[in-house]
Amino acid sequence: MTLEGTGITEEVTFSTFGCNVFKQGPATPDKLLPDVVYKRRGAETADLKTPDGKKIKVWSFVDSALPLSSQLVSYPSPTIRVRQGQIVHTVLTSAKGPHTIHHHGIEPTTANDGVGHVSFEVNDSYTYQWQPKHAGTFFYHCHRNTVLHFELGMFGMLIVDPPEGPGRVFQDGPAYEVERVWVADDMDPRWHAIGSHDAGLCGMDVGLNRFEPKYFLLSGIFNNKTMTDSRTVVTAKLGERILIRLLNASYSLLHVTLACDAEWVGSDGHGMGREPWCDKVTIPAGTPIDLSSAQRYDLILLPPARGIYPVRMEFRHWITGQIQDSGRGVINTKVVVI
Amino acid sequence: MKRRRFLQLGAVGAATTMALPASKGIASSTSTNFSLTIAPANAEMIDGTMVYVLAYFRDASVPHAELRVTEGQEITIQVTNSDSRIHGFAIPGIPAATIDSIDPGASATVVFTAPTGGSYLYVDPYKAPLNRVLGLHGAFIVEPVQGTTVAGSPTPFSRSALTPQAASLFDALGGGHPRFPGNKWDPNDARREKLWLFTQIDPSFNARVAAGEQVDPATVVPSFLPRYFTINGLSGFDTAVHGGGHSSAAAERIMPSGKQGDPCLIRTMNAGLATHAVHIHGNHCMEVAESDDNGVNGCETHCYERDVWLLKPLARIDVLLPFERPPDIPIGKWPPREEPFPMRFVMHCHCEMSQTAGGGNYPQGSVTHWEMTGAITSD
Repeated sequence: MTLEGTGITEEVTFSTFGCNVFKQGPATPDKLLPDVVYKRRGAETADLKTPDGKKIKVWSFVDSALPLSSQLVSYPSPTIRVRQGQIVHTVLTSAKGPHTIHHHGIEPTTANDGVGHVSFEVNDSYTYQWQPKHAGTFFYHCHRNTVLHFELGMFGMLIVDPPEGPGRVFQDGPAYEVERVWVADDMDPRWHAIGSHDAGLCGMDVGLNRFEPKYFLLSGIFNNKTMTDSRTVVTAKLGERILIRLLNASYSLLHVTLACDAEWVGSDGHGMGREPWCDKVTIPAGTPIDLSSAQRYDLILLPPARGIYPVRMEFRHWITGQIQDSGRGVINTKVVVI
Repeated sequence: MKRRRFLQLGAVGAATTMALPASKGIASSTSTNFSLTIAPANAEMIDGTMVYVLAYFRDASVPHAELRVTEGQEITIQVTNSDSRIHGFAIPGIPAATIDSIDPGASATVVFTAPTGGSYLYVDPYKAPLNRVLGLHGAFIVEPVQGTTVAGSPTPFSRSALTPQAASLFDALGGGHPRFPGNKWDPNDARREKLWLFTQIDPSFNARVAAGEQVDPATVVPSFLPRYFTINGLSGFDTAVHGGGHSSAAAERIMPSGKQGDPCLIRTMNAGLATHAVHIHGNHCMEVAESDDNGVNGCETHCYERDVWLLKPLARIDVLLPFERPPDIPIGKWPPREEPFPMRFVMHCHCEMSQTAGGGNYPQGSVTHWEMTGAITSD
């Protein structure tokens, strides 16, 4: 039996639930020949330089299919992009202790879902197998001591294209010419100074119920550069349809306002307008939308005229509703139509 | 963290010292008369910490009882205040069910007509939100008189309140839609309906009230720093049924369990002050009804398929967990041969501070899981 010593076959106890989680690296059950293979190793660390001249340490996954000299640590982690219907293998190699990969919104078997207390954390290596059924916007992240590992950067985007490839959000769905991923995130430097991957797991009070972010980033860009950086500013020609894949990877409520109409065509990776119970939604210019942590919105923009369309994202505290960091928790960027 | 020995909510004081169950399974909807007593108690957190709480006890014995009625009935609720401070009673969204204040030692009664089918919260509106987050809250559930769609599919909502979109979803279940072979939703099967009542506890407020301090309710939200996160009063390991004999009626009320094609309604509610990001693995859920900012329930005109839904304070959102084949298992490997049933998929809040207890102890917060016990194979 390949799954011995995991939560799939063993009794889950109070101890294995949290402090002493199952750690294994079994052979993948019901393994198939893959159409596509992604390899990730983590955690690897790097220091980001903050706008106030300090350094903040992030943890990340690197693309371990690349030659060693090319395995740069990026924040967020490198994107996984596949097509609907492909048999996908994600090979995780753990570094600096056990980790997992949970493909968020992808729904495979328990062994391939990456949650230790009902299956196993990966002490060495494991090959996650899945075959995406829905084209849309997802992400992946480590699910060990998730409160800490996700916040510290062990996540990346996961995009599923329809079988024919990019250009439509889903099969026979909305088309786009310009695509942009906006990943909103916030960082509490106190958390990033915690060295232990296991902090708090076995009974220590390490203050992980208190999150006070001081840095705010869009797709890895600090908010002092998001109005100018080409990785955040969207530029399109008049008449081009712009697909925004928006993820809230922060621990704040993300309050987003766009200065042009948006057609909401996908929620959490499931296309809208396909089933009778959920049509697409037009979000008028200036009407804010609120994203909880981990929600994704796929938005199609078709601005009616040349010009600059501002975008504002407020990071709001999950209890007080106030903008984080005494009102500084804001990202401004823009859509430029030429 | 040492496993604490007791799972109990014990009443404080000389009158009652025996341990009490945390809650019970689905209550009968045949009652129209309810008696609630407000009293302090000690509740044990998942890490063994004892916290002073206040609770509504049904028939002076069952804390945080789930009250269940049928649409159109005349409902009588008598509330006795056995605490030493003023309290009240309210059901947001049902204005007639309000008692603004009850003096210590006094009783008050409210009579109202049960509205259309849906999920409600009862709370103490006095010194809001202080008393509510000290524990004075519970679920109030209304079953419809005629809950079927025009096509005859059972739903938990009154036909007059159904939207075409919600009706189309319940009609699709077991109705020939390729995603949903199997059965329709079944209102008579308790396994097909679960309750997830979320709240958060900042023990510093509980301690100040226990010490007799008059806490200004306006100071609660700005300084609320929860250390415990519960679903139906339970956290972490205790929220699910595990093997080896660890189970309870309270955990069964939380954890969905069933075969592919046995859809389950989950009533999600938030009595606390933190906005939760309710994230489910294994299946996306469809939002079918929610309360608006005035507490009024309505079926959705868009039943969004979500793996995360945003649950604000006092909000109630009913979702459908379809129990469809986890869609991203390779189609050629369904049902799996080398991986056994039941398959377990977690649910947790993705605002991950909620996954802690006492400042660490991941994942002993607002987490549970659901399980799929088998596949549809015969057809």
